[in-house]
Amino acid sequence: MKLSFKGGIHPLKELHEGKHSTQNKPIRELIPEKVCIQMDMHIGAPSEPIVKKGDRVLLGQVIANPVGGIGIPVHASVSGEVTGLVTRQQLGKKPSMCVEITNDGLDEWAELSPLGEVESAPADKIIAQVKAAGICGMGGACFPTHIKMTVPEGKKVDTVILNGAECETFLTADHQLMLEQPGKIVDGLRAIMRAMKVATGIIAIEDNKMDAVKAITEAAKGREGVQVAVLKTKYPQGGEKQLIEAITKRQVPSGGLPSDAGCAVFNVGTAAAIADAVTKDQPLISRVTTVTGSVKEPSNLRVRIGTSFQDAIDFAGGFSEEPGKIFAGGSMTGIAIPDTSVNLSKANNGIVVQNLKEAKVAEPTPCIRCARCIQACPVKLNPQRLKELCDMADLAEAKKKHVMECIVCGACSYVCPAKLELSPTFKEAKEKITARRI
Amino acid sequence: MDVNAIVYAAVVLGGLGVLFGAILTFADKKFAVPVDERFVLVREAVAGANCGACGYPGCDGYANAVVKGKAGIELCTPGGQKTLDALANIMGKESAQTEVQVARVLCQGETGVVKPRYDYAGPHQTCHTAVSLAGGPSMCVWGCVGLGDCVKVCRFDAMKIENGIVVIDENKCTACGMCVMECPRSVIKLLPKAARVTVRCQNQAAPRDAKESCDRACIACRRCVKACQFDAIHVNDNIALIDPHKCTLCGECVKVCPTNAIEQLA
Repeated sequence: MKLSFKGGIHPLKELHEGKHSTQNKPIRELIPEKVCIQMDMHIGAPSEPIVKKGDRVLLGQVIANPVGGIGIPVHASVSGEVTGLVTRQQLGKKPSMCVEITNDGLDEWAELSPLGEVESAPADKIIAQVKAAGICGMGGACFPTHIKMTVPEGKKVDTVILNGAECETFLTADHQLMLEQPGKIVDGLRAIMRAMKVATGIIAIEDNKMDAVKAITEAAKGREGVQVAVLKTKYPQGGEKQLIEAITKRQVPSGGLPSDAGCAVFNVGTAAAIADAVTKDQPLISRVTTVTGSVKEPSNLRVRIGTSFQDAIDFAGGFSEEPGKIFAGGSMTGIAIPDTSVNLSKANNGIVVQNLKEAKVAEPTPCIRCARCIQACPVKLNPQRLKELCDMADLAEAKKKHVMECIVCGACSYVCPAKLELSPTFKEAKEKITARRI
Repeated sequence: MDVNAIVYAAVVLGGLGVLFGAILTFADKKFAVPVDERFVLVREAVAGANCGACGYPGCDGYANAVVKGKAGIELCTPGGQKTLDALANIMGKESAQTEVQVARVLCQGETGVVKPRYDYAGPHQTCHTAVSLAGGPSMCVWGCVGLGDCVKVCRFDAMKIENGIVVIDENKCTACGMCVMECPRSVIKLLPKAARVTVRCQNQAAPRDAKESCDRACIACRRCVKACQFDAIHVNDNIALIDPHKCTLCGECVKVCPTNAIEQLA
């Protein structure tokens, strides 16, 4: 039986989730002439740059030190000269400190000190190695991975789940990575299991990627405690809490963390990066991202961190028609970018270009109380009532009705026949409630 | 048709009405909940706008808290001095002289004055969402977005959007502070009504960046500091700030400001 959770939707079902145009396209490597690396890609305090203008940096060299408890270092993603420390507006609320490096094309690696094979590497050193490699959650949240791998005091984790669901529309980056480097992903999972002292590791994949299931199953043969779980194709199957519910039938308590349900969830891309960090000591300098939509050659690219959106789109053949909206991420959870000069961060799993027609926003009409949003909500909220409360600015009541549990997946907005902006309203309400301590 | 039926119905319904009226009157007297008479007085004295400025759920909630001694008497800002005096009288407390305040928009970034970064065409047209997208639709990350989150929460019809920026009607504003709380960029501040000279900019960017992003940005040139003879203006974080208690409204700073960031109200 295929595993699943209650609720959810199947977006773009007739279009194969919009993934057909990049499916099974081999990952091409994009090496840009110039990168602009943000210091605040991860959740937590921005890192402190330690290079200055004119310095020559090597590939993988640390260019910024972590600040605070959950910070991670940032590494040079090309070798070359630092051409400036600039403050640029990226996708955040305020401008970010960035390090600009011009590529000299040599790709000369900094000195590396690998821990050895994942099965023989000293388990107690893996977490420190992951932190030093600057790895953060590559599914999109960019939460520092070493924090996730450290089990909080008094909690017990018995299952590590690798998230290969890729339920997000249009994106095939994780899928292609699973097809091309299944061994590395399994290695990464074993490294996490050994570091966290967990016996069970499950790689979860949706049933629209049976070739990836096959590849991973093949690679996992003979590896201790590694299993593969096939999930129903559904959105948001790859949400952390939904994934845990689908696989283990446990629920993460309200306001709790996955460790409260005895689980830890990592993206497959993160696992591959961990494998590189342990076996080769290569820090996180590149990631796989899908460039698709209205571009001439929709592709899966391995891009260096700090590549501009323009470079990535050009590498995919440029726009095929006039763009209306460009998303960083998939079309369900991605955010629109202001222009193509912004740079890719560790979290960018995709670039989706919509044409003018697709980007058109429908005019909302009054709610007809069809309750489709209630059926679609994966966290069992009542979006229709919450929207009323948020519109009346009654945030205290909205909080009582658990608006804070909303994962902002957008399933309610997607199914709403009245085209109401449900999900953005809840995102806003959540931010206001947190800021005002209601 | 039988006329008796009508008479019969009228008598029965009328009788029932009288009966229930009597029961209700009895119940009202017998089971009356004693109300602190001060509650009624306080409830009448407060502004009655249910704006929420005091932090209590509506005027009833606030009046209740005042009577129980849980809340101070000075929290009803829309009521102003009149309410404060009345509450002091009812509760037997000392009334204090309050400074009349109004909400002021510390930004002059109208359409055409501030440079646009992108055209925000998203479905959710609120300031809060717009500012979370790559620094907001205009080049200045400190200024008014002009999508009117504040207008929606104003209970006194004192705000409107004009030329892509919010404008406050001073005569209608009661300084309840709801807009101050709503603004995602803290562009609106409560200032004494008597402070007629204000620096209407909060751009803390480096002066050159500030100038590039907006024509009326404060560029921290300090000409106003030099022009002020009363030590009322100081520059912190690339922004000039006027101390309303030292300012004599002489207007010298307004004359020297090269970007017209300082404004003197009539």
